[in-house]
Amino acid sequence: MAIKDRARDIIGKEVDGVLAFRPEGGSHVPHLFNADDIDQMAGEYPAGERYPVSSIVRRLQAARPGVRLAVVVRGCDERALIELEKQGQVDMEHLVLLGLACDGELAGTCGCAQPYPSEVVQGEKVEGGLDLGMVEKLEGLPPGERLDYWLSRFAACVKCFGCRNVCPLCYCKECALDEPGLVDHGEQPPLLPVFHLIRAVDMAGRCVDCGLCEEACPIGIPLRTLYRKVGEVVESHFEYRPGRSPDKKSPLSVLGTEEDVT
Amino acid sequence: MSRKPENNNGKDEVKILAFLCNWCSYAGADLAGVSRLQYPPNVVDIRVMCSGTISPYHVLKAFQMGIDGVLIAGCHIGDCHYIKGNYMTYKRFQVIRDVLEFIGIGEDRLRLEWVSAAEGEKFAEVIREFTGQVEQAGASPLRTRWEENPANRERIRKAFKPLLP
Ligand code: SF4
Ligand code: SF4
Ligand code: FES
Repeated sequence: MAIKDRARDIIGKEVDGVLAFRPEGGSHVPHLFNADDIDQMAGEYPAGERYPVSSIVRRLQAARPGVRLAVVVRGCDERALIELEKQGQVDMEHLVLLGLACDGELAGTCGCAQPYPSEVVQGEKVEGGLDLGMVEKLEGLPPGERLDYWLSRFAACVKCFGCRNVCPLCYCKECALDEPGLVDHGEQPPLLPVFHLIRAVDMAGRCVDCGLCEEACPIGIPLRTLYRKVGEVVESHFEYRPGRSPDKKSPLSVLGTEEDVT
Repeated sequence: MSRKPENNNGKDEVKILAFLCNWCSYAGADLAGVSRLQYPPNVVDIRVMCSGTISPYHVLKAFQMGIDGVLIAGCHIGDCHYIKGNYMTYKRFQVIRDVLEFIGIGEDRLRLEWVSAAEGEKFAEVIREFTGQVEQAGASPLRTRWEENPANRERIRKAFKPLLP
């Protein structure tokens, strides 16, 4: 069954609104559909048009607690929602997920661990596999060259804050990147590498490897490589991968027990 | 009172920032002091109320400002004044250390130690060892890389003000 058919079935019954996409100027934009305009919902989901839908859900639910929504999710969107729920930012009880599997081409270039959500409504599942190629390549370099690599990449940063603003897991009202004591204001590039390392450490136990940050970065700074490494660090020490196992919280968000630290 | 590298057996003069927990390591440092135990003078210390209050940002900022090594010292596991504050210290430490290594700053430059108020000798030993370890690693590449780049000299000068003469 196609997502659009499912959405038509449940709108006005199981859910009050469907967060999906509408055609607009040759591309698609996120739109919250109701029973009246559901027919205008797009049925196709081009690979190059991904949006942080989990962030939109978070905002909608915050504005209207208890609202019953359905949302079109890829694997990464579902991971983001799962992680956001653990942090008390979304309410999965009132959410119906309309699962979309990424096609082979997207899955191949993306390199995420699971390019499909737990329940697929539309699309053919293709197996993923976390692409750590770039991480391993950098680890093979002498430390000095690694530092040169990162500093030269970071130095191109135009400090647009796109990476933070698009990130589904960056929901804090106050952000360290806005703190003049940490990151010089009015300077471009920002203080390096602290600007980018702040995001890196903050993504520990959070980043779900959706890749939206790297896609949003106008410079193409390999942010995802950095956060993938952080993900690996967290998994190696704490056996935790953000966006999976809904009943286990990030070890960096709870104090935990003595066993965790001995 | 900064020594030139040549006065230091040819090794780089290093600056170390130590975050010390008020309830243990800070008192341990005090004890080392009053017991007249010898340890190198390269350390600037910051007293915190619990090692768990040390944000990764503080550690990153220290390196940004040209510090060559950061020591975090807190109460032994089980002895934290706030019960579990140091659990967080331990977890964060592992993440920051591995990120520092991946980025090329080097994991040797960050160290976590549990030092109680009674362990003056251990404190002195930790400082001696860590200073040696950081000297081995040399001046922070962050410091040298930036200094080599004339475009960034002015910003470095600004950022270094509190630390360098
Ligand atoms: S890949 Fe980027 S945008 Fe996505 S969760 Fe990780 S840091 Fe945020
Ligand atoms: S998106 Fe890229 S250029 Fe913009 S602030 Fe982030 S790293 Fe810098
Ligand atoms: S009070 Fe010393 S580490 Fe928490």
